[in-house]
Amino acid sequence: MSETLRLPVEKTYETELAALAAGDDQACPTGWVLSPQAVVTYLMGGKAADGTVISPKYVGNKRLIESAVATLATDRALLLLGVPGTAKSWVSEHLTAAITGDSTMVIQCTSGTDENQVRYGWNYAQLLAKGPSREALVPTPLFRAMESGKLCRLEELTRMGSDVQDTLITVLSEKMMPIPELNDAVYASRGFNVIATANDRDKGVNDLSAALKRRFNVVVLPLPADMESEISIVSQRVSEMAESLDLPLPKNANDEITRVVSIFRELRAGETADGKVALKSPSGSLSTAEAIAVMIGGLSQAVYFNKGVLSAEGIAPNVLGAVVKDPVQDKAVLEEYLETVLKKRRGYSDYYKVMTDLV
Amino acid sequence: MSQVHIFGVRHHGPGSARRLVEALEALDPGIVLIEGPADASDILPMLADPEMKPPVALLGYANDAASDAVFWPFATFSPEYQAVIWAVRHNRPVEFIDLPVSWRLGEMQQQDIAVEDEASDPEGQGEQSDTSGDDDGAEAHTAQAQNEPPDKLSDTRSKVDWDPIGVLAEVAGYEDGESWWRDVIEENPQPGPVFEAVADAMTALREAAAAPDERELAREAHMRLAINKAAKSASGPVAVVCGAWHVPALKARHALKDDRALLKGAPKRKISTTWTPWTTPRLANASGYSAGVTAPGWCAHVWHSTPAHSSIRWLTSIAVVLREAGHSISTASLIEADRMGRALAVVRGRPQPGFEELRDAAIAVLCFGNSTLWDSVAAQLLVGSGVGSVPESVPHAPLLDDLQRQQKAARLKPEALEKELAVDLRTDSGLFRSTLLHRLNFLGVSWGKLTDAGKSRGTFRERWVLRWEPEYSVAVVENTIWGPTIELAANGKVSAQLATETSLSALATTVRDAMTAQLGAAVELGIEQLSHKAALTSDSGELLGALPPMADLLRYGEARTTDATQLEALMHRLVVQSALALPYAARALDTDAANLMRNNVKAADAAIQLAIEKSETLNQWYEALQLLLDDSKCSPLVAGAVAQILYTVERLQPADAAILLQRALSPGVEVAQAAAFFEGFFDGAGQRLLYDAELRTAVDEWLCQMDEETFVEHLPLLRRVLSGLDTSERSRLLDQLLGRAEASFTSLVLSENASTQWPPQLEVITEILTAAASSDNT
Repeated sequence: MSETLRLPVEKTYETELAALAAGDDQACPTGWVLSPQAVVTYLMGGKAADGTVISPKYVGNKRLIESAVATLATDRALLLLGVPGTAKSWVSEHLTAAITGDSTMVIQCTSGTDENQVRYGWNYAQLLAKGPSREALVPTPLFRAMESGKLCRLEELTRMGSDVQDTLITVLSEKMMPIPELNDAVYASRGFNVIATANDRDKGVNDLSAALKRRFNVVVLPLPADMESEISIVSQRVSEMAESLDLPLPKNANDEITRVVSIFRELRAGETADGKVALKSPSGSLSTAEAIAVMIGGLSQAVYFNKGVLSAEGIAPNVLGAVVKDPVQDKAVLEEYLETVLKKRRGYSDYYKVMTDLV
Repeated sequence: MSQVHIFGVRHHGPGSARRLVEALEALDPGIVLIEGPADASDILPMLADPEMKPPVALLGYANDAASDAVFWPFATFSPEYQAVIWAVRHNRPVEFIDLPVSWRLGEMQQQDIAVEDEASDPEGQGEQSDTSGDDDGAEAHTAQAQNEPPDKLSDTRSKVDWDPIGVLAEVAGYEDGESWWRDVIEENPQPGPVFEAVADAMTALREAAAAPDERELAREAHMRLAINKAAKSASGPVAVVCGAWHVPALKARHALKDDRALLKGAPKRKISTTWTPWTTPRLANASGYSAGVTAPGWCAHVWHSTPAHSSIRWLTSIAVVLREAGHSISTASLIEADRMGRALAVVRGRPQPGFEELRDAAIAVLCFGNSTLWDSVAAQLLVGSGVGSVPESVPHAPLLDDLQRQQKAARLKPEALEKELAVDLRTDSGLFRSTLLHRLNFLGVSWGKLTDAGKSRGTFRERWVLRWEPEYSVAVVENTIWGPTIELAANGKVSAQLATETSLSALATTVRDAMTAQLGAAVELGIEQLSHKAALTSDSGELLGALPPMADLLRYGEARTTDATQLEALMHRLVVQSALALPYAARALDTDAANLMRNNVKAADAAIQLAIEKSETLNQWYEALQLLLDDSKCSPLVAGAVAQILYTVERLQPADAAILLQRALSPGVEVAQAAAFFEGFFDGAGQRLLYDAELRTAVDEWLCQMDEETFVEHLPLLRRVLSGLDTSERSRLLDQLLGRAEASFTSLVLSENASTQWPPQLEVITEILTAAASSDNT
């Protein structure tokens, strides 16, 4: 048992990767450990040539993963787009692990990320001692990935300021990074590429400039397609998190999850589950991850303030908080939903009552 | 006996069309036989007329009932069309060899009779296009289609018959049969004649499939006999073009005697055939043409482009459509999309990028991963909006025949002179005439013009002015693409209109008009559209505008065509939504907007009072109006109108109304604002001053406290309000002002339980009246 809380995925899934590599008879692009077909199998699950079972890493449309892999095979950068909680980072980590066997070159982009963290920084002691030189230069993960011909991951690209984002343009189109201070440049080795993840429906994100955007092939990872899979994802994650937070799970938790997920899905999809009534959608993303957060909030309220009873009174305020992100617009949307749909629906009267009171 | 060559093609398959033309060039046959109704052979060469622009359809219809009709559509990329063109250009005879139209329509007639025997309720026979599907590429309009819900099993079965290549492609994981044809049939590692390979595949497929049904046996027997006959007399090799599915059966040897036996007892019916223009959307199977292709646009692309440049041409056309929609797509992006398509083909193990690869690449590179963007342009790209045309020399269209029949039945002659016509909708003949004229109006044939338009359903009388123009005949024929009879065509055209209509109120109006014209299918579709659009609209003008036609629908619509409860639910929903949207919408309006809003609110209120009985919804509506009234930012004209409504339904007490009026008209309020409120409150309700003392006092006081200048300014307004009163009313008003008359009631409101209370009262009244009448008689 490792002391580390979480190992990089290429270590966790070492046997699967080894089995796939051993039985891989398709051509590999330069710098790739596995062939594109084997990478798709690794992500979607299946069997290696020697019979080793490959667990599915991504549950969803195979076409999307094929698009992602094909993009990386053409030396075009890949941008995984989607609302929070759609496994963007997860997919990017596994793709990197399967393609280069090394998923550790990551830049976490935030609004505080500056060019030094993207391109290269300086070791000032060296700089003072020796003047500008390659020795005084502190490489970033992107720098190292270019040199070694590996994949660099950029997490939450859109959280970084637009001016910093644009430093990537030269790297992506000319596959080189100039170092004007040394009158030098880094030229990317074959196999180098970038996988970025970004979020297009959140507040506090900086839009990608058109110039940068068209240097990426974009694959949008959608929210779970059907109710059942989403409920199972939520209940699985809720029970895991409840366990780690020492929150006992009441018996009716699954019923409440079903109700919350169905409200979320209806508002998100803009129509009722039976497809008979179309609705307006609120401005928030209402992702699976938010449904999980709502349930955890309700759970902790139940445990600490409601004698362990999980009820609409505890959960509905959280639902309200998740839906109403914009006080005017979203409130109207929710009111309409409450009046036209939830009011008449059997088994939702407690939600209707609590939320109407709060609105 | 000449040699027979059978070419199994994919209906509407550009890949097989291309190979077929090559094969015909190489073979140089003496006669070309095509799978298609044998009794339409004589009009077949017309297809090569230079003025004939595909898509067009061969139309066969029964002479006694044009609603029994079958269409065989042809596109430029249909192998059958290309075969005809080849034959006519090379001066070779060309013939159809399938079962004749008369057989097909005869069958329909027999089924009709059978259905009528079974079903005692003739109302069940709605008219709609047949969705059960057929393997000869025909689309049928029948009267009994509703009675046979196509079950899943027969669906897949007919799909295999009709497009076995598409089914094979689907099994191989292709969404597009054309890409499969190219990848598997044309890029076959063992090069060989394409059509032999198809025949081999079909032989294997048919061995595994269920035994053919009676109809298919008869069809194949008919084709075999026709081939045999042609082979005896032809001067060169015989080329047979048929659906791939039939190749093994046509190659098999059968005794002539057995084949003839299969064709015994053929149903007979008098039929006519003609050509009619067709549209590309109706080639797509999404339109309900079960034998259609998924993407006619893609098929046309495959036909027109050379394989070498196929993918970049397709990507370019995607870019053109995207650019037209306002998105900037650079040439560099196109290059990247092409590269990605190729890489995807490698990942998927396909020899070259096909339809799906290019779509996925276009989504990732050109649409920035946004599949909604792709969906928004996909319809235009994949389906298109092309309309074919036919030369003037083609025979008469059934729509014109149907019109003449209906004119006869309605006893209306087309005359060029204007003629007035009053119809009584309570009589069958009156209703028939009205329906016909309304339907024709939908088809763009304004033979009759309604003189008191808009009120047609509120009363039982309609006044029309009739005048026939010669160009109407042409207009009628142009509508053949929508259906073979006036009713079907009007239904089809209105449905298409409804599908693209975006404005809620326009949608509701069209649905109401469609109901007036008794177009059941269109009304149903329209109501579905309405409920869909209603949710997405938050514009109160739209919502309010939709209420009056909705109320008409609900009040006067026959429950036969639509589900009344669904309609009612929709109406309630619209009212609730309007109530929610209203308070925000009446703020800060200029004069025009306020006027419009006032009219909308009043019309909507009238509609609500007409159609809504549930007090809960009514309450919500009046609460919204109350909110409006209390809102100080609300436009005064609207507020005045709202006050009038609330006052009329006794939601506003006379004392409160007087206070309100005083406040709105008090000296502190700007004159223009006060006048607007006054106008809103009294517009069309001058009589109220006669009866309502408190109101009168409030107005009186307001007028008396004005200085002369302001009073003069307000005079026109006052005149307008009082102009609604006649002389005697004015003198009564004067009497009252001078204190010479007594007060009276303020308003009349429909009691909430009127529907339960009224019947017994009516009974009593009737009793008294009839008793009086009978005592008079004695």
